Amino acid sequence: MTFSSKTYFETQLDQLVKEHYLPEYYYFQVRQSKAFMERYLSEKIELEKIAATAFMSRFHFIRIFKKVYGLSPRQYLKDLRINTGKELLKQGLDISQVCIDVGYDSIPTFSNAFKRATGYSPREYQKLNKSNLE
Amino acid sequence: MIKIHVTSVPVDNQDKALKFYTDKLGFIKKTEVPMGEHKWLTVVSPNEQNGVELLLEPMGFEPARVYQKALKDAGIPYTSFMVVDLKKEYERLIGVGVKFIMEPREMGPVKMAILDDTCGNNIQLIQML
Repeated sequence: MTFSSKTYFETQLDQLVKEHYLPEYYYFQVRQSKAFMERYLSEKIELEKIAATAFMSRFHFIRIFKKVYGLSPRQYLKDLRINTGKELLKQGLDISQVCIDVGYDSIPTFSNAFKRATGYSPREYQKLNKSNLE
Repeated sequence: MIKIHVTSVPVDNQDKALKFYTDKLGFIKKTEVPMGEHKWLTVVSPNEQNGVELLLEPMGFEPARVYQKALKDAGIPYTSFMVVDLKKEYERLIGVGVKFIMEPREMGPVKMAILDDTCGNNIQLIQML
């Protein structure tokens, strides 16, 4: 398939990349930190360690990560944990197991964070999805 | 806590749109309520059946058609959907006859492509990198 001419939108994208985007290596470095968070989600991950995977200082890393993804690395990790938790709950895993798998120390802490993010407790969320699938 | 419950894309024909959004894109029909000559017709992602509903909204308002056409002609996406693996999804959609107006390209933190939904809209697919 060939794409002969660029649309107005695509030329705008080209201009955006040329004038406003960060150098390519920043995206590559920050992606590495994101992959690290995804891989070690169930463990306690210190921010310094995440920043190190992007070869940046903590301060610089937070600034660049936010610029690239629009949220702080801490918030990204939290969202990642909750979203992974949602998937595991849908698969029918036990709540205590999900809590461990997504890196929370205790069920109450996980439940509170989950409820704040989704509006449902893990148990309610699991029940809701189970009834929808049946 | 406030959250997004329904968002919409304007479509020129609801039955045709339902076929495209379910058979080709892979959404699932959630509600279909007759409302006069049109209907309240929504689809959801198979992974988020309690999540945000996409309303396939009939074009009953003439100025909206003008707006939709202007976006379409400029190649501007009406809305954007997220996929896990854009390359794989692009190949699957090409395989079922979906037409793309922009092939996958990387842009900073994302990879994106734009398809024609056959109902008057360009739709952007995004993969977070």
